Amino acid sequence: MAVEILKEKYRSKVGEVVLGATKEDGGTRSHTITVGGESALPYLHFEGEIPNRPVVALEVWDIVPEWNPCFEQYYGDVYNDPGAWAKKCVEEYGADLIQVRLKGADPDLKDHSPEDCAATVKKVLEAVSVPVMVIGCGKADKDNTIYNPIAEAAAGENLVMGVGELENYKAVTSACMANNHVVIAQSPIDINICKQLNILIAEMSPAMSTRIIIDPTVAALGYGIEYSYSIMERARNGALQGDKMLAMPMYGNAGFESWRQKEANISADEQPGWGEQEERGILWEATTAMAYLQSGIDILVMRHPEALKAIKGNIDDLMKNNSY
Amino acid sequence: MGLTGLEIYKHLPKTNCKDCGSPTCLAFAMALASGKASLDACPHVTDEAKEALDSASAPPIKLVTVGTGDHKVELGEETEIFRHDKRFFHPTGIAVLISDSEDVAAKAEQFDDLEFERVGMHYITDMVAIKCDSGDAGKFKEAVETVAGKTEKALILMTEDPAIMEGALEAVADRKPLVCAATSDNFEKMTELAKGKDCPLVVKGSDINDLAELVEKVVGLGHKELVIDSGARETSQVLADLTQFRRLAVRKKFRLFGYPALAVTTKDDPKEEIIQAGVYVSKYADVVVLKACEKQQLLPLLSWRQNLYTDPQKPIAVEAGLYDVGEPGEDAPVYVTTNFSLTYFIVEGEVESSRIPSRVLSVDTGGISVLTAYADNKFSAETITEAIKKCGLEDKVKHKKLVLPGHVAVLKGTLEEESGWEVMVGPREASGITKYAKDNFAGGVS
Amino acid sequence: MIIIGERINGMFKDIARAINDRDPGPVQEWAKKQEYNGAHYLDINVGPSSTEPVEAMKWLVEVAQEASDLPLALDSTKYDAIEAGLKLCKQPAMINSVPAEMAKMERVFAMAAEYGAEVIGLAMNEEGIPKDADMRVGLAAELVATADAFGISPDMLYIDPLALPCNVAQDHGPEVMRTLREIKMISDPAPKTTVGLSNISQGTKNRELINRTFAVMAMANGLDSAIADACDDELMAAVASARIILDMDIYCDSFVDVFKQRNR
Repeated sequence: MAVEILKEKYRSKVGEVVLGATKEDGGTRSHTITVGGESALPYLHFEGEIPNRPVVALEVWDIVPEWNPCFEQYYGDVYNDPGAWAKKCVEEYGADLIQVRLKGADPDLKDHSPEDCAATVKKVLEAVSVPVMVIGCGKADKDNTIYNPIAEAAAGENLVMGVGELENYKAVTSACMANNHVVIAQSPIDINICKQLNILIAEMSPAMSTRIIIDPTVAALGYGIEYSYSIMERARNGALQGDKMLAMPMYGNAGFESWRQKEANISADEQPGWGEQEERGILWEATTAMAYLQSGIDILVMRHPEALKAIKGNIDDLMKNNSY
Repeated sequence: MGLTGLEIYKHLPKTNCKDCGSPTCLAFAMALASGKASLDACPHVTDEAKEALDSASAPPIKLVTVGTGDHKVELGEETEIFRHDKRFFHPTGIAVLISDSEDVAAKAEQFDDLEFERVGMHYITDMVAIKCDSGDAGKFKEAVETVAGKTEKALILMTEDPAIMEGALEAVADRKPLVCAATSDNFEKMTELAKGKDCPLVVKGSDINDLAELVEKVVGLGHKELVIDSGARETSQVLADLTQFRRLAVRKKFRLFGYPALAVTTKDDPKEEIIQAGVYVSKYADVVVLKACEKQQLLPLLSWRQNLYTDPQKPIAVEAGLYDVGEPGEDAPVYVTTNFSLTYFIVEGEVESSRIPSRVLSVDTGGISVLTAYADNKFSAETITEAIKKCGLEDKVKHKKLVLPGHVAVLKGTLEEESGWEVMVGPREASGITKYAKDNFAGGVS
Repeated sequence: MIIIGERINGMFKDIARAINDRDPGPVQEWAKKQEYNGAHYLDINVGPSSTEPVEAMKWLVEVAQEASDLPLALDSTKYDAIEAGLKLCKQPAMINSVPAEMAKMERVFAMAAEYGAEVIGLAMNEEGIPKDADMRVGLAAELVATADAFGISPDMLYIDPLALPCNVAQDHGPEVMRTLREIKMISDPAPKTTVGLSNISQGTKNRELINRTFAVMAMANGLDSAIADACDDELMAAVASARIILDMDIYCDSFVDVFKQRNR
């Protein structure tokens, strides 16, 4: 019996965004990465194109992070050297790209100067040849002073820079506009703000509308993940049905969110009912990432090399054609 | 949604005889579609057409029950493609696989222990699948009896050999196990076995088309308690097939796929296997059979299932009460918030990031956020005071200080009066808690 | 809501004159204006008094397509003119319109199948416009069933339940609303629906208010599109709001602009 396969007819698709730049385009990357372009719901190859596989980044900090001790064996030798750290992430752990988090710029931590931040980014760019993303320390006043020096120092590299928020998107957007970088537009688990922020950024310069990455804020497994999941499903449905202001590739930091939670960190001694800590943490992170792949994420930031490995295996599987 | 006019029209005589009172058969079909007429008005409709039209009004996916008593698992009766459109109803049954060729008793005990307490909720791994790898009917029956003796949870019996199935099924038929599986080679005998014992049956095709054909045959034999499996085992193809099952059943009322669906993992590495199972839980599997059996592996998967199947229209509440963050002593700070889960989790996460062991008092506001609850008088001097008393906070800390969300600083005076505790006004947003804690409580509460 | 911009119509004096003088100016100006303000299709009608409808249609189609990339809705009771226009359309067009009369349906659906065109079907037949919803829905079902026989999917059809001026046929209003709801029960996929919006307000005072009130009420009952004045800002804003309230677009503060800019 031939079953009549049900395929959705969509009016539109997700826009493609290129990350990084090679020599020809004024950068120094060995290759670029294209994300987005989907004309179907996640991995339903039978009804449309999934032209670009989602990519997975690992995160490099400019200060020694206070992470779970289980990370010591992977990153302990490079915690003090962002360049070596980035290199290890790419060469040993297989990261598709690197996200530099300039946590040290935080005035309450190391208060690194804008020049220091730019130097860190340059160091990472020299150490690896993959595209690079750069995130500030999270304190808007300080971050607004570092975007321009970084954007200028890395002019031509087509960085991904963030984050722009509804109350504070102009500084990072202008820095990206002036130096041809891509901006991350972050909204607080709120699809209306997500859309409005994209509109505001596109209004600053129409050219930026194809250089936006949506960060809808990805909650961790067990901590509101279903809210983010549904928002991303709605945004992706909107994009496919022609809502251009939601038709940007999506980004989320599954590593950061997951490893903030008790379930990833608490030892088996303290919580024997939950089993061994490290594997639990890896799976807390990887399951979080898995859910976001199913709701349409294009760029994942991970932390544990084993979680990255498991999720890249899952992406390999999901990218196999399932046309009827 | 019911049948459309054209679908009904197909089953009508198309004679435009007007005996029903409508000018044309098409007009009558439209009157039926909008519920203004009854099929009885047409004296010429055939019994066959009547049955076809009746069955089309059944729910899109049948409810199938596996197991009995407190441990029965209900599968199916889903109505949505996206959880945000309404909700998903019956959480995916997570079944751990035990082979009759391994240490059955040990694994069955390990399985039965897979229950978890998390944020005031109880998660269980609800099914166990016993698979015949030995090819030995006696050994399989013994394994099934051993497992049945160790756990009261719902059973799945896995063998495609009816002769092997028969004995095992006989032994545990009163537990109403899921018989797995009928295939094109064995379906007559398997259907007879399952139907005879009134047990649900998995119908397994070699692909989606073969499955549809097989379901039709099994239904023709008179068994309707079915679970379907396209036979696909590659992640991407399973995702596609499960999506087609759900879409065709819900959107097209395609009866042959109107049953709960089963998926089986293939990955040997437990981490990869949990992720593969997670994909199937996300996209429409009603049962997932997997091998992973360690607590740290199942907890993330069961948490995802719980999260996915919550009702998006309902504010999600954590159980009200006092929560420890780290190992708080008697000088640890106390933060007060509501029991809206998102609020609570964000506060808890930020308190955790401060690395100062603390307590979070979650006040019962019916699962709504701080400002809404304040406006609604559910987050008030009275309710907070009551919560302080109820959790016995006075016996747990030696100080008498509370941190109140900055947004409701206005409550400070009345709360101090009502409760007798000193109120410290915390930051307005949870993101400020870490810094606030470091500034105020680096050396404990003084 | 799909807006079919009504302004390129020989009924309007400037367009009639432009056709007569073969002056592309006014036609192209209206094409651009309507597109800018959020129209999704441009209605093309040579007007009731044209003496050479085929040639006039061909000219209008070419001239409009020079100015705008929007798809066209070819509006005529003369099917030869529509066919001549379809041949020139650069992208699939819409045929406006056909009643539920067998001979006309056969002519139009054959043409639609050949050119991949969508079709506006009118809920009327030789006997005119029925008053009650049941009869209108019955005619709509006939349009769908006949189109189906020509291999045209129901969602390629736009059924117009035919609104009459509210000052002369007030009792038709509720029937039109009910018709819109029940048309969605004809088939899966359901046919789309449309109305000639300004019909409702013929000969009344405060026409724009009546038009936009009708538009949002009809949308709540399942209206998918309207042949309307895309340059009526108040109408477009009302439609944008209705789409938000009906959860058809995801809200954001700039929702009116987003609705108008969809096609840009």
